[in-house]
Amino acid sequence: MIGLGLRLAVAGGREAAARLVVVAAAVALGTGLLLATLAGINATKTQNLRYAWLNTGIAEYTTTPRAGVDPAWWLIRGDRFRGQELGRIDVAATGPAAPVPAGIPALPGPGEFYASPALHDLLRTVPADELGDRFPGREVGVIGDAALPSPDSLLVVVGQSPETLATQPFAQQVTAVLTTDPAGCMRCIIGLDNTMFTVSLSVIAAALIFPVLIFIGTATRLSAARREQRFAAMRLVGATPRQITVLATVESTVAAVAGTLLGFGVFFAARPGLAEIPFTGATFFPSDLVLTAVNVAAVAVGIPLGAAVAARLALRRVRISPLGVTRRATPKPPRAWRLIPLVAGVAELAYFVGRRPETTDGQTAAYLIGAVLMLAGLVLAGPWLTMRVARLVADRAQRPAALIAGRRLADDPMAAFRAVSGLVVALFVMTAASGAITSFVAERARPAGDSVAATSLTQAFWPERLAEGAEPPTVADIPAGLSAVPGVQAVLTVRENDRQVAQNMADPSGPGLISCADLARAPGFGSCPPGAQVVSVWQDLIGPRDPGVTPAETIWPASTVTDLDSRRLLSVVVQTDGSDAAKERVRTLLATMDPFGEPPASDAEHQASSTLTLVQFQRLADVVILASLPIAGCSLAVSVIAGLTDRKRPFSVLRLTGVRIRMLRSVVGLETAVPLLVVAAVAIGAGLLAASLFLRAQLDYPLHGLGAGYYAMVGGGLVASLGIIAATLPLLRRITGPETARNE
Amino acid sequence: MIEARDVKLSFGETPALRGATLAVAEGEILAVMGPSGSGKSTLLHCLAGILVPDAGEVQFAGQRIDTLDEGARSALRRDRFGFVFQFGQLVPELTAVENVALPLLLAGTKRRAAVAEASAWFDRLDLDGLQQRRSGELSGGQAQRVALARGLVSRPKVLFADEPTGSLDSLTGEHVMDLLVSSAREQGTTVVVVTHEARVAAYADREVIVRDGKVTTAVLT
Ligand SMILES: Nc1ncnc2c1ncn2[C@@H]1O[C@H](COP(=O)(O)OP(=O)(O)O)[C@@H](O)[C@H]1O
Ligand SMILES: [Mg+2]
Repeated sequence: MIGLGLRLAVAGGREAAARLVVVAAAVALGTGLLLATLAGINATKTQNLRYAWLNTGIAEYTTTPRAGVDPAWWLIRGDRFRGQELGRIDVAATGPAAPVPAGIPALPGPGEFYASPALHDLLRTVPADELGDRFPGREVGVIGDAALPSPDSLLVVVGQSPETLATQPFAQQVTAVLTTDPAGCMRCIIGLDNTMFTVSLSVIAAALIFPVLIFIGTATRLSAARREQRFAAMRLVGATPRQITVLATVESTVAAVAGTLLGFGVFFAARPGLAEIPFTGATFFPSDLVLTAVNVAAVAVGIPLGAAVAARLALRRVRISPLGVTRRATPKPPRAWRLIPLVAGVAELAYFVGRRPETTDGQTAAYLIGAVLMLAGLVLAGPWLTMRVARLVADRAQRPAALIAGRRLADDPMAAFRAVSGLVVALFVMTAASGAITSFVAERARPAGDSVAATSLTQAFWPERLAEGAEPPTVADIPAGLSAVPGVQAVLTVRENDRQVAQNMADPSGPGLISCADLARAPGFGSCPPGAQVVSVWQDLIGPRDPGVTPAETIWPASTVTDLDSRRLLSVVVQTDGSDAAKERVRTLLATMDPFGEPPASDAEHQASSTLTLVQFQRLADVVILASLPIAGCSLAVSVIAGLTDRKRPFSVLRLTGVRIRMLRSVVGLETAVPLLVVAAVAIGAGLLAASLFLRAQLDYPLHGLGAGYYAMVGGGLVASLGIIAATLPLLRRITGPETARNE
Repeated sequence: MIEARDVKLSFGETPALRGATLAVAEGEILAVMGPSGSGKSTLLHCLAGILVPDAGEVQFAGQRIDTLDEGARSALRRDRFGFVFQFGQLVPELTAVENVALPLLLAGTKRRAAVAEASAWFDRLDLDGLQQRRSGELSGGQAQRVALARGLVSRPKVLFADEPTGSLDSLTGEHVMDLLVSSAREQGTTVVVVTHEARVAAYADREVIVRDGKVTTAVLT
């Protein structure tokens, strides 16, 4: 029986072969996505391990004295180059037995440094006054992959003398390099939150795999009628129901095995491209996207097994008797109760607007329940909505195409909706996430662009960062070349304020002081109240401010201080024209002025770091939308073909009687485009509603319009899936050729 | 009205028509008889401008139609001809009355008017009360009568029927033929009906027999 099943599966005619190919392709797509997710989770863990050594000196374990180990002085700071973070570690060995991180042969001596490959390349192509001059000495080697979270990581290990580093308050003596997962270390600050990435990868995978499952289901139904007739014929000649089940199972399993193998191929072929997606904020090494033996075994066995089970379940719906096929159930029209969970979900979320739960757990529960209710509600309500819209179309139709299409959708809205239900899930989840993230980022982000927040760099000399008894740089230390750098518009100095002033977000007075004469030299940083000589300001002349207030609108509070010029320097603020070259030259010059200070940065750069992962997640959400729309398009295409085969005869007769193929094309187009577009609109609307309710309840933020990128993705995805549908249309001409109308 | 002269047509290696010649007069009801596989359907398809012969010519109302392009022939079929086939020609999504109204809708008639005009045929063809049924809810004879109404609703010059009673029992078949003939006469429609049943051919004014791709006999009844 299994042999016969195999023969039928492989040589069962054109339709069987087509079904086999489509199912295998769908399984391959699903397998590829699943493997990519698993590999992504593994790669995130590997990447995190490569971040571990950057937490050396932070994790307590690395600083405890050890016998036989010469401690190394260790100072880590975050610098930047053209928008990318650059990790800088200054080290000094106190003896030959000092700990050495993986990736370099030994700690560099004074006047030496090791650069990561990406930095090494930059150093050779970028003028030294923009980058190279920040690192004293010469490059003695390239940091090995074992120490690189990502092939694009910019890292530098700079050698210093122990005496120099010993005086730096933030330098530490380390006796070991951290090698364990930073997620497991309490105080670690550099690294990834593995749980968060695993959860979001899983959500993304689910949002992608659901449409694929739907696709597989639709594909299995392809020319199911023909197959069932064949089974009925076999029952007639004496096959038992058991044997029929074996036949069906063999067929699906063959497709699933082929698809699974293909899926592994797809994954390995796509791996280099996947590695380029900076999901965690940094790209991956392709070799980090690995599968464990358990992953491979689970997928290789699980998917064919799942397909076999699915085939068995699908056959339960029909009773195949020797006299033919009877459906167990004719579709009943969906009822209005299907709207209840959706309405309940919206109501639940709306209830919490203005009544935010106190605890984090309470909040999670409140929003999660609401979101899940809405999602399930959408899937439940989909067929009902499809039916209502279809009836409306059919009732209003003047043209036959709209009438036929509307009727067909209204007759079996479940089937019509099923093909696009995967899309609903993907669009809802991703729109809600994008909506929440975009608004969150927009609310947090203070005006940047070409405002001083983006164009000015601040180098601060916080008193608490200074070494014991050391003094901050003075005005005389400011490099003479700074104001001469092309693109630099003003160099402003801020002095220390008296620190008894309460300094919090609401308090506009800051830890610094500036003369009104200076402030007036550089427009864009706010102004003095009338009559003031000196005002208290923040070190970057911007400070924490309300969203919506531009730095230029700030009016700083007057200060009564008169000894401004004799006070210590708190910061230097350099206003540039915003060009990369000017900013990087300024950064390099400031670094030479205060080689162990906090590297200078703009307000916008600080912010970009804090919203980086959110922005990355959003980009991924866009990718999900872009991918799931064509998958939904494939499901639709398959149901187009099924719908065509169903009506082969009446359609060919219509063509014989002179009906233009254009009319039949619009029937098919309407039957697919209407559910696709209606469902996309409803899912997007629901996603935005969910995001808006969440933002109102939790953060009291309004919903901001989604970015052009999101709409480009949705639009592009819709066009792609409509394209896939259009690609099936030539089939219409073939299927409805005159020979079909022959009486045989 | 319609004339075929020495029409030849092969499907690949299989010759279906080997020089068929036939003329149908205006208002005439012609039966095309012959054994299965003899080329009756192919001949009908050539006469109706569905297929283009390899050789020979086909004229409708004194004009050659085998030289027209596909678009012009489609338009001709749509505007001048009506069709009834053996089975399965009703669009399953539409009700019976909408199926009948379909040619009118395609020609641009408003839905309400088209449905009203189609309804008139239900009375004439003993189909009263079945207007709102779907094709799956009709018996074979009812479905054929609905198809007949659809073939006649736009008042074609010629009605082509290919085995219109082929899948019906003899009593139902006779009923359908009765209605076909009486409606056609009433409207003055020319009819070409393909059949292999002598009983059906008896309704015609004249019959021809197709054998091996040639119109061989013409018998007056
Ligand atoms: N589309 C086709 N492809 C190949 N052969 C065909 C096709 N249509 C008809 N034939 C062949 O042409 C011959 C005549 O067919 P047809 O006109 O359908 O016969 P009839 O209607 O008298 O039964 C037959 O031998 C048939 O097999
Ligand atoms: Mg025939």
